[in-house]
Amino acid sequence: MTQLMPLDLFDVSSYPNRRVEEWKYSDLSRALREIPQKDKIVNVDPVSRFAVQDFAVFTVRNGDYDGLNEAVATSNGKLWIRHLDEGVTGPVVGHQGRAVLHVADDQSLTVFETYEGQGAYAAHTELGISLGQNSGFIRIVVLDEPLTALSIRRSTIDTRPGAKVHQAVFSAGAQFSRFETHLNHAGHGADVVLDGAYLLKGKAHFDLTTRVTHGEIDGVTSQTIRGLVKDQATAVFQGRILVERGADGTDARMRHQALILNDGAHIRAKPELEIYADDVQCAHGNTIGALDEEAMFFCQSRGMDEATARGLLTHAFVMPVADAIPDEVLKSVVLDFLEHEAEDYHAV
Amino acid sequence: MTALSISNLTVSVDTKTILKGLSLTVPNGEVHAIMGPNGAGKSTLGYALAGRPNYAVTGGTATFNGEDLLDKDVHERAAAGLYLSFQYPLEIPGVPALTFLRTALNAQKKLRGEDEVSAPDFLRRVREVAKSLKIDMDMLKRPLNVGFSGGEKKRMEVLQMAMLEPKFLILDETDSGLDIDALKVVSDGVNALRSPERGMLVITHYQRLLDHIKPDQVHVLVAGRIVKSGGPELALELEARGYDEYLGVAA
Repeated sequence: MTQLMPLDLFDVSSYPNRRVEEWKYSDLSRALREIPQKDKIVNVDPVSRFAVQDFAVFTVRNGDYDGLNEAVATSNGKLWIRHLDEGVTGPVVGHQGRAVLHVADDQSLTVFETYEGQGAYAAHTELGISLGQNSGFIRIVVLDEPLTALSIRRSTIDTRPGAKVHQAVFSAGAQFSRFETHLNHAGHGADVVLDGAYLLKGKAHFDLTTRVTHGEIDGVTSQTIRGLVKDQATAVFQGRILVERGADGTDARMRHQALILNDGAHIRAKPELEIYADDVQCAHGNTIGALDEEAMFFCQSRGMDEATARGLLTHAFVMPVADAIPDEVLKSVVLDFLEHEAEDYHAV
Repeated sequence: MTALSISNLTVSVDTKTILKGLSLTVPNGEVHAIMGPNGAGKSTLGYALAGRPNYAVTGGTATFNGEDLLDKDVHERAAAGLYLSFQYPLEIPGVPALTFLRTALNAQKKLRGEDEVSAPDFLRRVREVAKSLKIDMDMLKRPLNVGFSGGEKKRMEVLQMAMLEPKFLILDETDSGLDIDALKVVSDGVNALRSPERGMLVITHYQRLLDHIKPDQVHVLVAGRIVKSGGPELALELEARGYDEYLGVAA
């Protein structure tokens, strides 16, 4: 089983500091100056901006995962896991929760995982996912938390031979947001997609960290990450693919492409390939640039004002990640989300 | 009525002066060709009129249907009816050609205070035009120009002009990258847009395009100035004798 570094929101001694390499660009101690309050608060039920048909719904209130496995069992293979976190005025409240989720051999599960909330809160959740032989797992994550939220979402995925995984994470950022995926790749025909896209504005901080370990032969991993930052937002992408000795026939590709739309916004990218096997195909690419001025002129010369052209091109930039979603219902939900988020990019 | 009137235009790119006092008028309904050697400033003229950033107008005037053209933003020039067809049309990943076209069309209409075109009307019209240009509708669902051949890109340019219905066309080396069949399709598409209300400026290196799109007048552009103007026969002379005799004139 893949292990996560111990972290407890309510124990300050467990917080990683900036000397911990993995947390160098996301300083939790600085973001969370005081230990959050443990108070459980009574929830109102905010209306979700998302609507998906044909999915069973399971709500995780303030990190409480009780009943998740029953929900998976009765979901008919399609489950919307809706995380709702709430804060109150006054001291920051903290929510923490943990769950495990299994997909049996030859079974498939499609999970739509949303994170929404209101007010100021600190949330830390851990999801341990284990996938059986020849299983199928689609995991589409939308992080849409308020700019007052601190949010750490960590998951482990353990695969078995022949498993097919398609994960795509979409984030609009929060005050401090980190999404981690640690995947143990079983190879032997297992095929993993770990995509992501982010659109950050204001003072948002979003950290997308992925760790993939290929310990066996013939595993495939593909990562496409697209991102946009503006204002004073900061994006962090840390991707590591480790190919262990003997994991021949591994095919691993990682590509991170991002646009910085104005001075003052930041992107910290650290793509890493660590390869100890001989017969592998691995590649990583990382490009960070500005919006293509020639493309802007082309659009404007056809009659689009600057804001429209900018919105069109920025939306288009993150589109490929949504386009690759293998579930049509979720693809259209995500496209709507991106279109809505991209609107804010009209004016820079 | 004069569609486009350029007087003594000077244009610099970065610190280099490219156009050095260019004057030209194109009446409505006429097609004028601009020919000239590499580096004469042909593409610069198109870009400057369309308002490309970094193409600084340092002197002279350009009026379009009586209005000051140089005073307008890029998109305002387009909405006023100016269309620059690019020598190398850009690839726009992630934006289907149909989406691009409809966004552009409605943006222009909005600026002119006209009603937006409805989706069914838009699609009906696109189908008609696409058919005449031998463009498959499936191609229009793909990201604009991404992976298109040179000929397909130019046909997309003509499709856009036909849909946007501009008052004036600037064709910047539309013949480059075209085989003989594609040249015919593209030229037919442009010719279909000839009308008494529409002027055209055809920028080209070669006489070949002008066999298909017959100009009323031909201008020779050398070193940033028009050095000679004449009828269609001038293009044939240039084809036979080259630009050598004019290079001396400009110096």
